[in-house]
Amino acid sequence: MRTLVGLLGFALGMLLGCLLLVFNPLASARGLRPLPGDVAPVKAYRWEGYRGMEISVASLLGLGRGDRGVALMDPALRGVRMGIIVLPAGEGASAALAVKVSTIADENSLWRAQVATNDYWNIFWPGEGSVFASGYSNFWGVLRDDFLAAALGSDEAPEVTGRLVSALAPSGTSTGVAGASGRYAGFTGEIRELRYPGEGDAKKSEPGWGIAIKVNPPPVTTR
Amino acid sequence: MKRLFSITFVTGFLVVALATTLWPLPRHQRFRSLIAVPADGGRQEEFIIHWPEDRIARPGEESAGLPAEAVVGAAVLEDSAGRRVSAELFRLRDSADNVIGVATRVAGTGGAIADPGRSSSNWLLVIPSRGALFLRQTDVVDTTVREQSTASGIVALAPGATAGFWTDRSPFRVTAYSPGMNGSATTGRVLRGTNEFAGLEGTFSEVWTLEEASAAGATRGSILLSTQTAAGS
Repeated sequence: MRTLVGLLGFALGMLLGCLLLVFNPLASARGLRPLPGDVAPVKAYRWEGYRGMEISVASLLGLGRGDRGVALMDPALRGVRMGIIVLPAGEGASAALAVKVSTIADENSLWRAQVATNDYWNIFWPGEGSVFASGYSNFWGVLRDDFLAAALGSDEAPEVTGRLVSALAPSGTSTGVAGASGRYAGFTGEIRELRYPGEGDAKKSEPGWGIAIKVNPPPVTTR
Repeated sequence: MKRLFSITFVTGFLVVALATTLWPLPRHQRFRSLIAVPADGGRQEEFIIHWPEDRIARPGEESAGLPAEAVVGAAVLEDSAGRRVSAELFRLRDSADNVIGVATRVAGTGGAIADPGRSSSNWLLVIPSRGALFLRQTDVVDTTVREQSTASGIVALAPGATAGFWTDRSPFRVTAYSPGMNGSATTGRVLRGTNEFAGLEGTFSEVWTLEEASAAGATRGSILLSTQTAAGS
């Protein structure tokens, strides 16, 4: 009886600890609001042709070996993912060729609810111009979704629409449009990134991604 | 019994708290920064890329079986007006030849981007343990990668990787000394940085050096990115 009570107390203590950790209120404290859809429409894209690490809760926690066929084996590149992406045309803009590089954020901390990546974009629209952008994506919400799915005994993640992963960087580094050229020279702006559950078996298929870019033209100056 | 429950409950809670604090989250390996400080202030740092070995192939790409001058790790997007954009992926090394990060070069032609016959290119240098640098320049020639249909299928051809490009011009400075007529009025600029590079801006140059050209048309060489930065306003 004493053993049973001891085990029950230990299990409940761990359960409370896990619940407090997973539903850590700090996770939403640094989240960013979505950008209005009419100002910054979301461009959905697939990021299957990548090299480097898989972006999953397991890899961000340092678990799992990842796909050795696409991994970058250099010691300094273990926490890097990069790939060439075509952002689709639409809403008055032509298709763009982009490179996205994500690195595991060194500031990650479980008790601060931070399992995040630093994201960097190099985007070029043919004949029009280019934009550099940087962002910070915290996947704590994805971890919570996975935890709930496991707790409910479901393979399907509970999220149906895209989950906004953009958040304020704890380092204080400003994010958003870092530079622009051509028709967009002098523009500043913000970005938001979304992650969509994979199709079919969410655990096995690659998730979908989305990016919204809001650009602000430079102020008009008169002489 | 109540006391036992309380003690084990708190123990269970503390185990989670301890695991949360001590969990070994992944950290990036860092190499010593090789920075020089010129006499007039600021900081100089050089980054090197060797081709073809530092090109990062896209998944499923194999260099075996491709024509000698074809490259891997590149993509091209061209619109109906012939305005082209190309993207390339590389490993990035410091001046001691350590792989310290990755670099991407995206170049474009036409319209508002660059004058005819030239391109404008953006370098994104990401050093995971230190942050990222955003570089932009006008190129002296069109440096975009082209696609060509061959017996092996459609292959990517980068200007510097083809032996025909190198006729009495190694080393070759890609960065234009003066800006073009179109597009942004700058060349060789370090626009901004993040994390450890935050607040820095300055200039840079890109120089290609040919080291070897084979009879089959394949080349070996290096790209030198020399940055000179200082705290911005």
